[in-house]
Amino acid sequence: MADSDEEYVGDVTDDEDDFQVAQSDRAQPRKRKQRGGAEWELSRTWETLVEGADGTISSTVEGLLEANKRKRLLKDTTPLQRGIIRHLILILDLSEAMSEKDLRPTRFLLTLRYAQEFVREFFEQNPISQLGVLGLRDGLALRVSDISGNPTEHLTAIQALRTQDPKGLPSLQNGLEMARGALFHTPSHGTREVLVVFGSLLSSDPGDIHQTINTLVADKVRVRIVGLAAQVAICQELCSKTNRGDETAYGVALNEQHFRELLMDVTTPLATQKQSASSLLMMGFPSRTVEPCPSLCACHSRPSRGGYMCSRCGSKVCSLPAECPSCGLTLILSTHLARSYHHLFPLRNWVEVPWRRASSSACFACGLPFPAVPPEAQWSAIESHTKGMSVSSRYECPACENHFCIDCDLFAHEVVHNCPGCQSKSAPVVSERMDTTA
Amino acid sequence: MNSIDASEHYELGATELSPSLLTVIIDTNPHAWAALEDSLPLAKAVANILVFINAHLACNYANEVAVVASHSQKAAWLYPVHNDATSQESSDRDGDVSMNGDGGAASQTNKYRPFRMVEEQVTRKLKELMDSTHSADLRGNTSMLAGALTLALSNINRRTIAWAEEHGGASLDDAAAEGTGATGTGPSRYSASDEDERLQSRILIVSVSGSSNSAHQYIPVMNSIFACQRLHIPIDVCKLSGDAVFLQQACDATKGVYMALSEPRGLLQYLMMAFLPDQRSRRHLVLPTRIDVDFRAACFCHRRVVDIGYVCSICLSIFCEPPPGNECLTCGTPLDVGNYGSRPALIQRKKKKKKRANGASAVGTPMSRGTPTPGP
Repeated sequence: MADSDEEYVGDVTDDEDDFQVAQSDRAQPRKRKQRGGAEWELSRTWETLVEGADGTISSTVEGLLEANKRKRLLKDTTPLQRGIIRHLILILDLSEAMSEKDLRPTRFLLTLRYAQEFVREFFEQNPISQLGVLGLRDGLALRVSDISGNPTEHLTAIQALRTQDPKGLPSLQNGLEMARGALFHTPSHGTREVLVVFGSLLSSDPGDIHQTINTLVADKVRVRIVGLAAQVAICQELCSKTNRGDETAYGVALNEQHFRELLMDVTTPLATQKQSASSLLMMGFPSRTVEPCPSLCACHSRPSRGGYMCSRCGSKVCSLPAECPSCGLTLILSTHLARSYHHLFPLRNWVEVPWRRASSSACFACGLPFPAVPPEAQWSAIESHTKGMSVSSRYECPACENHFCIDCDLFAHEVVHNCPGCQSKSAPVVSERMDTTA
Repeated sequence: MNSIDASEHYELGATELSPSLLTVIIDTNPHAWAALEDSLPLAKAVANILVFINAHLACNYANEVAVVASHSQKAAWLYPVHNDATSQESSDRDGDVSMNGDGGAASQTNKYRPFRMVEEQVTRKLKELMDSTHSADLRGNTSMLAGALTLALSNINRRTIAWAEEHGGASLDDAAAEGTGATGTGPSRYSASDEDERLQSRILIVSVSGSSNSAHQYIPVMNSIFACQRLHIPIDVCKLSGDAVFLQQACDATKGVYMALSEPRGLLQYLMMAFLPDQRSRRHLVLPTRIDVDFRAACFCHRRVVDIGYVCSICLSIFCEPPPGNECLTCGTPLDVGNYGSRPALIQRKKKKKKRANGASAVGTPMSRGTPTPGP
């Protein structure tokens, strides 16, 4: 992406100068920041390359790939108390700055695409949460979709934004105030979160944004920002203040991939802060009914034959999870609750296996053969310099002590959230992780 | 242009259909099979399943199959068998059968090789599995379904990656993910971006044991089901005996076929008719699905099935009534119960005038707190 991008940024910044006079000396520094982003230091990738015994670098390259795969796996797996019931407002920057093409095809289109993916993934991970979408355009905050638990509404609303071009300047303050208003009535047992995708380097606000930040802190709204251009001081301050000094809530996208990662990180529920209220919620678990002739559903007034009957008042809703339109009971399937359990009981990280213990010959789960153990004299020579990668390509589950390959490691932690080894053995091993809920 | 000479019709027909991978999970719980002995002994069922597998292999030369046993105390691979010492005797690394004349009888030599390999390995591994089962392992009437599903999914993942690599990265997304080491693309890498250009996988569970005793497996089984849902892998269930709420929900969530056989003797026919078509053919078929799926939840405190329950906002445990002491039984968090289940407030009964007059109350007129009067 490097070459073509540099040309383009140059072009655009010339045009932009007329309305961003105050930052006219910005073009060069910003370009550099985009490359480096939050991680300012240059990474000298060539220095990590080491020639293998056969004179090629293929082994190192493979090692780097493997370490890369594993990097995101090595997150903290202590079972934290997490705010599973979330209320999140997604604020999209729809200002002039979003028409830049440093992210392909443009920041605007890419943001909309990722926003749709984000909405899908958010409801996949947090089925009993609520989401709303706002936009920042022309100095105003724009309501894109109201806060609700139905992903399709948000998806169509975001899709409709494609027909409009980004315009004007954004106002962070207006957006935050509107988000605060939308989150004002949410119950205290849920979290209140705001996620801003911010492409501009300025915010044209009607009043004092610090005032707004203080009210957000008072209302326990946590703000996370994904910047697309460069770090902005006010964003940094906003994030750290609303997250009790946690700096990681603000990230600047280095490239498309990184942008996506930053967005998708938000789909994992945050660890709760101490003072959050916990309460007992009344919920209905309706059964599905199929009627011989169509009847109107209570939520959209559309005729349908299938549906779910509210367990308290008996009105019919067409999809779950939903709130009963007539009596207000939260209707949910037990599977929706089960979907969130893996956040609460995460799978432990697997550990690297040194040659000394590399007794297995193939991956326990998929049967991929492992490289044979070399003679002991060569152990130190093959020692890898890459962090997080296992020299023997084996990864071991600390509970069941089976060995797995990198792909199964990735798959087990990201998709299945089960350890194939622990689950394949008899009960005692399994139960220690499960007895809390069973 | 193409529409004029109608050649696009032929181009369509020429596209190669991607093969499909069928994973069969056989529930080998000895208890349940013993109960079925009269109508369908295990040996006969396995023979039927093998015929079904052969039919699947015959549909497309590139079709693949995997068989996992979900036994009472462990889950184990039946086919393909990895790094197995005994399998090396009969066949070498390339899968060539050694010519020493062991094992294969003369009648076997004319069999289509993939058929024979599956049959030999499955029967041999199954025999080993049964031989290694001790009477002590037979206490519970459950099977390790979660483990079997997880093993099956790991294999599907491996085969999908291998297939995409062989075919030059079927979809762009996948290729990009592989190229960059798949660092961050997590969900996109695993979501089926283009249905037709991937290895089509599905899972068939031949289930005999009930799920009532396997409460501790609930979360792992659910995790596997959600993984299947995310990867667009249908789970088909062929239920020979017992009940299984999990499995009904699994089929419903993954759009698979659920069939409870009233007549287990007809297993082969059910398999061939209902479970043989792959995802692509199923789009054109009317599938036998269940309508009345049991979605009700069981509470964590008394295991009662509830319509309206109370859910802890921290750990999402379900209770049928507000827990004693307003403390969550699972995570121990003190809960704000709100007004649920509390009794309506009673108005204090009016105390007698005399008593109050005798008391040392410094309040001036005893009448002031007396009878409630309408108005100010």
